[in-house]
Amino acid sequence: MAEIKTLADLKRKQEEVKTQIDLRDKAENPGSQVQVKVAMATCGIASGAKNVMDFFVRELPKRGIGAVVTQTGCMGYCFAEPTVEITIPGKDPIVFGYVDPRKADEIIEFYIKQGELVDGIIPQNYNTINQD
Amino acid sequence: MVDLAMHMMDIVQNSIRANATKIDIGFLENKQDATLTFSVKDNGSGMAPETVAKLENPFFTTRTTRRVGLGVPFLKMSSRQAGGSLKIQSEPGAGTTIEAVYKTDNPDCLPLGDLGGYLVLLLIANPGIHFSFQYKIDESEFSLDTKELEEQGITELSKNEMAPAVKEYINENLKELYVNRNRESYLC
Repeated sequence: MAEIKTLADLKRKQEEVKTQIDLRDKAENPGSQVQVKVAMATCGIASGAKNVMDFFVRELPKRGIGAVVTQTGCMGYCFAEPTVEITIPGKDPIVFGYVDPRKADEIIEFYIKQGELVDGIIPQNYNTINQD
Repeated sequence: MVDLAMHMMDIVQNSIRANATKIDIGFLENKQDATLTFSVKDNGSGMAPETVAKLENPFFTTRTTRRVGLGVPFLKMSSRQAGGSLKIQSEPGAGTTIEAVYKTDNPDCLPLGDLGGYLVLLLIANPGIHFSFQYKIDESEFSLDTKELEEQGITELSKNEMAPAVKEYINENLKELYVNRNRESYLC
């Protein structure tokens, strides 16, 4: 990998990826992008949320998925950190617990790409049938 | 928290929750006194003195999802373990400054960790916030200011595709800076 040390290097790199970014931005408007929220409060950070977020940031563009990766606070599931909330456009958000890079890979391949649910879902917001 | 980069991410999250629009992160090493001062300064909502007094209590939090708030107590613990101290200054409406001092000649001083990696994640997740990062060893320094970079034509800082490049840029420059450090320093 080319070494990046000066602002000029950084700028050159920006030119390189610019076409990629433009292409993606043109193809999809933000409303149709997948939203990935990684819980990054004290509990999340301490359990390694950084590796998970790194993984999403690196892998999603590589696999051609336009997504917004952001951070959120603690959702009260400290026991299941790192947790990730995924919102696929038009669907309810789903929270996955005990996520590591391997689990994140599974989430991308099965849930984001094909809409199949995978293990480890935390029932954060769900509806019951006899709800008024 | 096993390194200072984790503490940085954690404390900055507090500033983000306080609706800050400008966040200054500083790591200042002083070779003479063998200290490292880690500081986060924001222009967020700030806190009243009564709230500041409660901050170091691990059972104080403003969240409703859980009953503990460990970010600041952890920072206090790790700095005190390394013979340092923690100082918080806040004013409602003006913002908060938090400053942790570590003694770098103390073997319990935390390692720095992947500062570049954490910083990049902060930039990606908060494109609207003006971040200013500074690492200083006596006179030599490395700084990164999102506004300044934008003026110099680097506008895509918060894009996923740029992440590896920005991370490398920060870490390479920091590595070069670390050469200036004293041999006796336990910081790594």
